[in-house]
Amino acid sequence: MVRIPVDIVYFAGGLRPMLKVVLRFDNPRIFLPVNAIIDTGSPTTLIGFSDLRRMRLSSLQIKKLLGKKEEINIGGGKMQTVALEGMNFKVGNYLETSLDVKFPLSGEDEKQPTLLGVDFLEKIKANFYFNPDKRESYIEILD
Amino acid sequence: MRKGLNMEQKSEIEMVEDFERDSKWFFENIDKLRKEGHTGKFVAIKDSRPIASDEKIDIVIKKLEDKGENPSFLFIEFVYPEGYVLIL
Repeated sequence: MVRIPVDIVYFAGGLRPMLKVVLRFDNPRIFLPVNAIIDTGSPTTLIGFSDLRRMRLSSLQIKKLLGKKEEINIGGGKMQTVALEGMNFKVGNYLETSLDVKFPLSGEDEKQPTLLGVDFLEKIKANFYFNPDKRESYIEILD
Repeated sequence: MRKGLNMEQKSEIEMVEDFERDSKWFFENIDKLRKEGHTGKFVAIKDSRPIASDEKIDIVIKKLEDKGENPSFLFIEFVYPEGYVLIL
């Protein structure tokens, strides 16, 4: 069994379980450490707008990203997204996996943070524990 | 350079460590950042201090590039006003 500690930070009005992840991709080349909020209310993993901008992808590179384009509803607003297939996720020395993620193409909110959705937990076959009272959170992967 | 690590590995590990340290500093010093006038702005942190901020993320990225910094390796986060609640 592997237990990966998850930070609990006070952010934007409440305690959030936050995992530090390094995102990698070959073409376009991406190497990006991010703070991602674990959100069991989100079925999919979504890269936040500011993290997308930190990648410094050109609009041409973004347009060339292969994958399904779709509109998602988030926080009462709508966001156009494109799927990037096979993004590499590395969490410290604990685990490395690949996952299809959604990138925002347009939307109303630049502040949308990066979210690790249920698809991430499902991919790594993990349990997620979050106890805000004791400030304890972790991901547990059973062998 | 650390033993057993090549330059590329070393720099990536260091970049992640720097990111983690600056991230920790941000969340521990968010009230200080608010007092310094960064409320409602994206702030880039390097070596435990703000080095660029603006209401628009693209302007922060531009400011960093003008300073010769690579935004991919820096911690950047939005400073929400005190009492603001974000529902995801």
